[in-house]
Amino acid sequence: MKLIFTIAWRNILRHKGKSLVIGVILFTGAFLMTLGNGVITGMAAGVEKNIINGFMGDIVLISDAQKSDNILLPIMGASIEPVTSYKQIKSILAAQPYVKHFLPVGKNLAMLLDESASAPGFAYLIGADLGEYRKMFPDNFKVIEGTYPAVGERAILIPTFARNEFYNYFNIWFLPAGGTLVAKNLKKEALENIRTLVVSTSVVMMGMTSGINSTNDIRFQVKGIIEYGALNQIFGHFCIVDIESYRECLGYFTAADMAAQVPKEEKKLLGMEGADLDSLFGSEELVVAEHKAAVKKISLAPKTVAKTAEDGVYNAVFVKLREGTEYKDALAGLNKALSEGKTGVKAVPWNKASGPIGSMALIIKAALFLFVTLLFCVAVIIIVNTLTMAALERTSEIGMMRAVGARKTFIAGMFLGETAVLSAVFGGCGIITGIIAVRVIPLLKITTTNDILQLLYGGDYFHPLLSLSGIALTALQLLAVTIAAAVYPMRVAGEITPLDAVTRD
Amino acid sequence: MNIIEINGLTKDYPLGATIVPALRGVDLTVAEGDFMSIIGPSGSGKTTLLNVIGCIDFATSGSVKVGGREITALNDRQITDIRLNKIGFIFQTFNLIPVLNILENIEFPLLLMKKSAAEARKRAEKLVDEVGLKDLVAHRPAELSGGQRQRVAIARALVTNPDMVLADEPTANLDSVTGASILELMRRMNELEKTTFIFSTHDANVLKYARRIVKIKDGLIDKEPVPA
Repeated sequence: MKLIFTIAWRNILRHKGKSLVIGVILFTGAFLMTLGNGVITGMAAGVEKNIINGFMGDIVLISDAQKSDNILLPIMGASIEPVTSYKQIKSILAAQPYVKHFLPVGKNLAMLLDESASAPGFAYLIGADLGEYRKMFPDNFKVIEGTYPAVGERAILIPTFARNEFYNYFNIWFLPAGGTLVAKNLKKEALENIRTLVVSTSVVMMGMTSGINSTNDIRFQVKGIIEYGALNQIFGHFCIVDIESYRECLGYFTAADMAAQVPKEEKKLLGMEGADLDSLFGSEELVVAEHKAAVKKISLAPKTVAKTAEDGVYNAVFVKLREGTEYKDALAGLNKALSEGKTGVKAVPWNKASGPIGSMALIIKAALFLFVTLLFCVAVIIIVNTLTMAALERTSEIGMMRAVGARKTFIAGMFLGETAVLSAVFGGCGIITGIIAVRVIPLLKITTTNDILQLLYGGDYFHPLLSLSGIALTALQLLAVTIAAAVYPMRVAGEITPLDAVTRD
Repeated sequence: MNIIEINGLTKDYPLGATIVPALRGVDLTVAEGDFMSIIGPSGSGKTTLLNVIGCIDFATSGSVKVGGREITALNDRQITDIRLNKIGFIFQTFNLIPVLNILENIEFPLLLMKKSAAEARKRAEKLVDEVGLKDLVAHRPAELSGGQRQRVAIARALVTNPDMVLADEPTANLDSVTGASILELMRRMNELEKTTFIFSTHDANVLKYARRIVKIKDGLIDKEPVPA
């Protein structure tokens, strides 16, 4: 072994030009593979941090009636089917040991209205119990103007991106109630027109739904302007509102509606079939004759019924899993429990529920893998070519070694040794440089406002990340390159016979 | 005892659609400890004969026994082991490993035999002393003259204590004085190590060193010449 590596090392030094070419390829390949792995890991971590932990959880529960799993950014803003069995769902989720946290939400598209505008604007609404929302996603955004709504307060939180969009629609700059203009937060065009800038502290929205329910236009008080911690360009389409306002806006039953539910016995009053309705309109009686007796017997005071937000309608439930949970098992287990509980909802993975965000994240990840694989192949091809040429040029030397008793395995080992030494030296340097680059790049705070690049970056700024397993993966890839690159030249060199050396002379 | 026994050896080389016979039925025996020269004009088949004897090339037909073992039916690994353990080679163009120094070149076959580094070094130092290159052990082949390189090749050929050393025109690339000294050295090593030497040449001046001369012509042994 020592002899092989001695010969290998000295051959590397002897053929400096070729060694340098192979070395540069190995260095570049290892560097880019390290960086690529860092980007992939960083992206996965960013997606986990920003999308899973910061926006929608690991699993999303949606109605069985929901045709598309993509509820976050559906095509043409199609409305999301309501979920009406949250209380039942809640008890099921609470019983699952792998469920860490969950949050029921409403999510749909709303039209932004202004009487002076010829066309409406649009925004996505996420309706939730704002107290619970903060518990589920404690640090996914910061309030840069105004304050976070108090418990039970009706309000809307508008992201900076949406506020800019709203300005584009109506030339109105939305502010939190009692807030003042903050120059650094103003959109460029708004800043230029600051003298004539129209401001508003409330926004009128009307829910959009393709269902049978009618929607209402609701005036929301702007409580705060928020900035998402990451992916503000994508998440910035989503305004956060209290669940009751959301339901009113979308024309869903609210908790208050549930409180006014008619008791069973009073429902008899509504049973007008066969009643003499003419007498009702032809006299001063307020009750038809058939029900007079019943009305006298019952109290007309409002009945006490559960009056909680949980009684109302949602569109989805975001579910976070405990760390270390086997994802597929949790998804299957949850679907089984929900199905057995006849809840009318199903559990879908976050990447399906997030539609293009999840798809794009997967596509980018696949593209990066493809890039690294291509890099791998190109490196292998170039090294194979160079080493094969080197093997053929050294026919006399190899043939002589075979003549004095070197076996094919020794010759193969010698070539593998040369490639291994080059890989260890140049590839090792490439990996170290890659690690340094992965550490340095986040410090440069390279930002982007491009949605896709933000997904690639795993957040608002480029933040590749390398774990020990990532480094080990790169080392394994380098090992694979080394072996793959050495196989053919080893074979070529192994086929050189002593006679080749003699006849060449 | 005969170290080599050859019967009816033929060797054909395909050349396009035609077959070129290099050896056409050679019968030859070589005794242990011999110092034999194979002579003949260029293209007569002497190099081919040496290559077949040295397990570098394969016979088309016939029988070749080296140390009593039939080599025509052996596989690559067995053939390689015979080359390593039984035969030493000296090439016309020296064929040393350029990245190894003299001592390392000489001990190379021993390391292939899995001898310990210390044992290999000891044996190599003895040989390098015998071939008169003790002061140049750290030099690489490129830093040596042709004669010095051939001395290294002789030492390397002998380092494993082979049954025989085959040398294909060992003096062809050397001037006459250096060539003579190399043959002197080979002769001395033959006497010292009791190793069989078979070398080919077409240089008449070399013949005086051989104890036995075999003449080959058109792929056949011409006659058994009288020992020089």
